[in-house]
Amino acid sequence: MDYHALNAMLNLYSADGKIQFDKDREAAKQYFLQHVNQNTVFFHNLKERLDYLVENEYYEQATIDLYDFSFIEKLNDLAYSKKFRFQTFLGAFKYYTSYTLKTFDGKRYLERFEDRVVMTALGLAQGDEKLAVDLVEEIIAGRFQPATPTFLNTAKAQRGELVSCFLLRIEDNMESISRGINSSLQLSKRGGGVALSLSNIREAGAPIKQIENQSSGIIPVMKLLEDSFSYANQLGARQGAGAVYLSAHHPDILRFLDTKRENADEKIRIKTLSLGVVVPDITFELAKKDEDMYLFSPYDVERVYGVPFGDISISDKYREMVDDSRIKKTKINAREFFQTIAEIQFESGYPYIVFEDTVNKANPIKGRINMSNLCSEILQVNTPTTFNEDLSYNEIGKDISCNLGSMNIALSMDSPDFGRTVETAIRGLSAVSDMSHITSVRSIEVGNDSSHAIGLGQMNLHGYLAREHVYYGSEEGIDFTNIYFYTVLFHALRASNTIAIERKQKFGGFEDSTYASGEFFDKYTDQAWVPSTPRGASLFADANVAIPTQDDWRALKASVMEHGLYNQNLQAVPPTGSISYINHSTSSIHPIASKIEIRKEGKLGRVYYPAPFMSNENLDYYQDAYEIGPEKIIDTYAAATQHVDQGLSLTLFFKDTATTRDINKAQIYAWRKGIKTIYYIRLRQLALEGTEVDGCVSCML
Amino acid sequence: MTVTDPAHATGKAIPLIQAVQAINWNRIQDDKDVEVWNRLVNNFWLPEKIPLSNDVQSWNTLTPAEQQLTMRVFTGLTLLDTIQGTVGAISLIPDAITSHEEAVYTNIAFMESVHAKSYSSIFSTLASTPEIDDAFRWSTENVNLQKKAQIVLDYYTGDDPLKRKVASTLLESFLFYSGFYLPMYWSSRAKLTNTADMIRLIIRDEAVHGYYIGYKFQKGLEGASDERRQEIKDYTFNLLFELYDNEVQYTQDLYDGVGLTEDVKKFLHYNANKALMNLGYEPMFPKDVTDVNPAILSALSPNADENHDFFSGSGSSYVIGKAETTEDEDWDF
Repeated sequence: MDYHALNAMLNLYSADGKIQFDKDREAAKQYFLQHVNQNTVFFHNLKERLDYLVENEYYEQATIDLYDFSFIEKLNDLAYSKKFRFQTFLGAFKYYTSYTLKTFDGKRYLERFEDRVVMTALGLAQGDEKLAVDLVEEIIAGRFQPATPTFLNTAKAQRGELVSCFLLRIEDNMESISRGINSSLQLSKRGGGVALSLSNIREAGAPIKQIENQSSGIIPVMKLLEDSFSYANQLGARQGAGAVYLSAHHPDILRFLDTKRENADEKIRIKTLSLGVVVPDITFELAKKDEDMYLFSPYDVERVYGVPFGDISISDKYREMVDDSRIKKTKINAREFFQTIAEIQFESGYPYIVFEDTVNKANPIKGRINMSNLCSEILQVNTPTTFNEDLSYNEIGKDISCNLGSMNIALSMDSPDFGRTVETAIRGLSAVSDMSHITSVRSIEVGNDSSHAIGLGQMNLHGYLAREHVYYGSEEGIDFTNIYFYTVLFHALRASNTIAIERKQKFGGFEDSTYASGEFFDKYTDQAWVPSTPRGASLFADANVAIPTQDDWRALKASVMEHGLYNQNLQAVPPTGSISYINHSTSSIHPIASKIEIRKEGKLGRVYYPAPFMSNENLDYYQDAYEIGPEKIIDTYAAATQHVDQGLSLTLFFKDTATTRDINKAQIYAWRKGIKTIYYIRLRQLALEGTEVDGCVSCML
Repeated sequence: MTVTDPAHATGKAIPLIQAVQAINWNRIQDDKDVEVWNRLVNNFWLPEKIPLSNDVQSWNTLTPAEQQLTMRVFTGLTLLDTIQGTVGAISLIPDAITSHEEAVYTNIAFMESVHAKSYSSIFSTLASTPEIDDAFRWSTENVNLQKKAQIVLDYYTGDDPLKRKVASTLLESFLFYSGFYLPMYWSSRAKLTNTADMIRLIIRDEAVHGYYIGYKFQKGLEGASDERRQEIKDYTFNLLFELYDNEVQYTQDLYDGVGLTEDVKKFLHYNANKALMNLGYEPMFPKDVTDVNPAILSALSPNADENHDFFSGSGSSYVIGKAETTEDEDWDF
């Protein structure tokens, strides 16, 4: 049987009602026998292989030249000695279709997984042999997995960028809008999701050169962006993807949301662009009192306050702006606004939500956060760029880029040295920042050079909890999550501090941060963070993972205040799609969406994926996200959020019995619990009884 | 197209409702009507939602023969959906047992027209006008396709309400699937995945349609005499045989060139059984000839449970939601 059919059997129960895990393993095996092995280019030895790949411009000469050949050979032996095997068909399939180096005609494979790991380590270590060894150890063991662009591209001669994610501001002028579109094209070409903030752009009907009713507002800009993203793709590998964020109090907010309506006119319909709404606390207060909410003209606000609309705290200035006759305003009912959001989330899954005030209160860096990114986990400050009349830069502001990588929670808890695992990950991610120079978008380059911002993520929480026979969302599960993220934060800061000491270099603006003032550390030095349940405690004790004490924090605080941190931002928890398949993890810190997940992608088709560590015996612990419900997911995320400086992609899952009110209630609950952002809303509609496919695992409850 | 005007062709008009009664949704006789109505309304979609143009690259990787096959398969489906939208579902209205049932049929009829139009969206996105015209010409000239259409149309214009429902269920649950096979096959090979999303939305609808019409058929059969029951059963199996023979030839005609005929036939058997099940009859084909390629079977699942990344289209999930206003207690913080 061919491997696709074997893999699909994973989604069909056997005659005796069991999930056929063995069929998926067989599919993986057949995939190698029938396809991979026959299509892999053979080399007699490493020397021959490297020479060939460098000569033929597959690998970067510069990377190889950083090391003695004998060291590369040793590293190669180390990687192969670990006997890595893909756990699932999708893991192997995904790796070979999307990551591995292929001949230029795309037909034959030039790398195995071990080779990709070695090249990634050599590339990121930049000549540091110890770091190269550490990276191979962590990546091949599955404890740390760099994000797709890094793992895909490092050390290849023909490649895109190593960074995943870009965030751009657009200001209220034509130069900035056209620069934004240009930058989107450039960044998509290099591979990465781009998010843009539209909050500063004047609304439809606003004056241009003081003549009323001139501006077309933000919808045409969205259309231009959408088309730009579908035009630019990375060597045809995948479409560009983008998101746009808008303030809830922007006058075009309802038009913005309506672009995702099922019956929207073709002229305004937005198909592939992702939407996000930035919601301040005041909007919730107004809804609580069932009042109208005022929307303010960005054009007037900028004239009155002298700063762009997006840089104003609406919660602080709301009453003032309402009373200011110079600012044109319209109003909508606040509760209806939230209901509209929920309706559109039903239809499209969008918009994402950024809880603006929560985000800014938790931000240790000076400045304002007014947007997020394509996956709603990047939260950093930015500053505007201004242009001269000939479109050249006048003052280059700071835009945001972020490179990501995630730890596998289960395997990291098994790590012989948890602190070293975190440190190696931080060093690997910092290297990506050091190696990235996006000269085509100067504001990104300037931002990165000064901030060295990175985003260490986590995945496989549900897989880990299930392996340990702890239910997702249970008291023990939340307890573990809290202490785990607490411990990661400690080591991440320690690592960044160590790098700052080694290089005698702090991120730009460190002096103005609450790290420098020491204030950031108060919540860790003033109170003890320990597990609150016996099971939570035993998970750490049994794994020999030490939980940092208040004294540890005091020492770290002193060292950070003295030597600084190398990275402006350290953590961000992405949704981890592709890499969690290769790594055999559950995505991010979500519960599983289904025991057998159906994955659809342009390059893969429809493929089936079993949750990690799952067997026919422990299915109880694999409740899916729809059964678990939004509250437990929010509680779990809230426990993690308090130790993460940026955001966490939080998807909420609802059964089809939910109404817009249920979604609104979950949003209110999330906001109250201190969640920073909400990513997709997903709804599961089960087949009408009597119309389902017989014996299908993903169709059963 | 030659078959869109059956009334004219047979010289007989389809009787619509004689006396109109206002449909009162506050007096429900059959809960199934409401359940299905709600489901159909929630499932409402339009082809513009799917970014079909993302499949253009993938379309170009198909061989000319594969492209032609795909075009023909979709033209065949267009024809069936046209019949179902303009004649089939409407012809069921006069036989409705409850007034709400009438409303459901109008919804079904409308969605069938949406489906027919969706294929045109696929054509205009992927192919050129001469190719499209060529495919439509093929559809009017293909004997088996025309025969299939004629058989079903004859029963729609006949005067037995139960037989009409049988014909309709067989169309919804059986005849469509020789065509549905292909996009499911492509998507399991990572080809035309956005097109497959759209087809999956159509399958999601057809599954409910076939189920509902079959259910109403069984309702209509309750209280019939044993003799009448036997007559209808014989009729059903005869019609299925007739359609099956024709369908096998149609399948060979289409799929022999790419070597998929055997697998498509298994898929036909599987769906024939499904259609019979919807009508309340025992399956006709034994298990060993219904073992469809698991990749196709798994791809069929009408649930909105797949996971996809935003680089790859919107997927076949998401529904129109139920709006409910929040209350003061929800905002108690």
